[in-house]
Amino acid sequence: MGFWEVTQSLVSGLGNTCLIFALTLVLALPLGLVISFGSMSSFKPLAYLVKIIVWIVRGVPLMLQVIVIYYVPGMLLGVPVFSRFVAVIVSFVINYACYFSEIYRGGIESIPKGQYEAGKVLGLSRTQVFFKVVLMQVVKRIMAPMSNEVITLIKDTALARVIMVVEIIQAAQNYAAYGLMWPLFYTAVFYLAYVGILTLLFGYLEKKLDYYKA
Amino acid sequence: MPLLEVKNLRKSFGENEVLKGVSFTLDGGEVLSVIGASGGGKTTLLRCLNFLEVPDGGEILVNGERVFYIDDETGKPVTVPGVQNIMGMVFQQFNLFPQYSVKENLTLAPILHAKSDKRRFKENKREILGEIDKRADEILSVVGLTDKAASYPGFLSGGQQQRVAIARALMLSPEVLFFDEPTSSLDPELTGEVLKVIKGLKSHERAMVVVTHELEFARAVSDKVIFMADGVIVEQGPPSAVFDNPQSEKTMAFLNRSEAY
Repeated sequence: MGFWEVTQSLVSGLGNTCLIFALTLVLALPLGLVISFGSMSSFKPLAYLVKIIVWIVRGVPLMLQVIVIYYVPGMLLGVPVFSRFVAVIVSFVINYACYFSEIYRGGIESIPKGQYEAGKVLGLSRTQVFFKVVLMQVVKRIMAPMSNEVITLIKDTALARVIMVVEIIQAAQNYAAYGLMWPLFYTAVFYLAYVGILTLLFGYLEKKLDYYKA
Repeated sequence: MPLLEVKNLRKSFGENEVLKGVSFTLDGGEVLSVIGASGGGKTTLLRCLNFLEVPDGGEILVNGERVFYIDDETGKPVTVPGVQNIMGMVFQQFNLFPQYSVKENLTLAPILHAKSDKRRFKENKREILGEIDKRADEILSVVGLTDKAASYPGFLSGGQQQRVAIARALMLSPEVLFFDEPTSSLDPELTGEVLKVIKGLKSHERAMVVVTHELEFARAVSDKVIFMADGVIVEQGPPSAVFDNPQSEKTMAFLNRSEAY
């Protein structure tokens, strides 16, 4: 088995890696915002409920959550509910949305009260204050912790193989059965390239937001 | 009929009664200064008049119409919607929106208000935006910041930021403009430019209420001065009366202490 063939099969595994990454981000970013609103709700029962959910989701290994989401609904209903891939996406989205929600909450709570008051005395509605005044400042403040989470996400995609969703690590591990170890080490090159691109992207975004001082 | 009439306004924070029944009137075009030591309730009064705090009791009338009162049947406070738009506010900490340029800080609220009438905005988009932009230019020249229109607040001096905040409040043509210690977070050499702008705004078009520690300024621009202590108005009247001929011991003590600085 030559280098070229291994590369090809790793690249096809990388397809799933990228898909899990992209779908999780697209769905978890807005869901996280909704969860953060829940945890900041002045309706206390809702806030406590959300905090408990966040505690559980952050407190249990993601690998276990993937297994639970895939197997448990099927065990309860007697028929499989999620396909393997959908189970991965559902568990990743819930998990990351909870982490994101805490980052959002930290960012939102760090915005000075005066910003809300200034919006209010100008006659803006609460929604307008949030979307036109606060949100952009939150984005700037959470850039660094967000880039951390996003970089962690790309590496967490490797957990999908626990329910046999083939991604790049699994693709490489298949060669281990033939006694080939180097494809596994070779995957690091792909991860490093991926994270390198993300780092550049976040650097660019941070620079873009540098035009003002908070 | 007075422009603003405040009757027996009360506000507590928990056990702490901050306003113990404050009443006064303000005519159009008048400037009212509110003076007194910290903790006397000056800022809370201003925040109640702006509805940043909901008063516990009393009434607020604008041009004879009740805009705030306690409902007789439910006992709950009622604020008439839209009243925010006739009250403008300038904060001690400026509270400019850092991600927007000076010009955008001015135009944000007017544009959003114009957009709320979707149909009219769609049909006359260009004229409406043009008008708002023109008005922003005019007001920037009033506060002397025409050349800073494209700058971002974080790159301006405190005095310039406060002038932007004043301009932003003026954009909505408030009938009453409130200033909450507008120079207290400024370096001494920057207070002059802000006070000069406030002085220049005195006109028949609007009334102004200024909470301030700048007694010289209060004396020079005010038509009326209120001295507050412990949640009540201890003394009120024209500046000459309050400053030169105070009737209350508390006022005298405060003025003496302030002069000592």
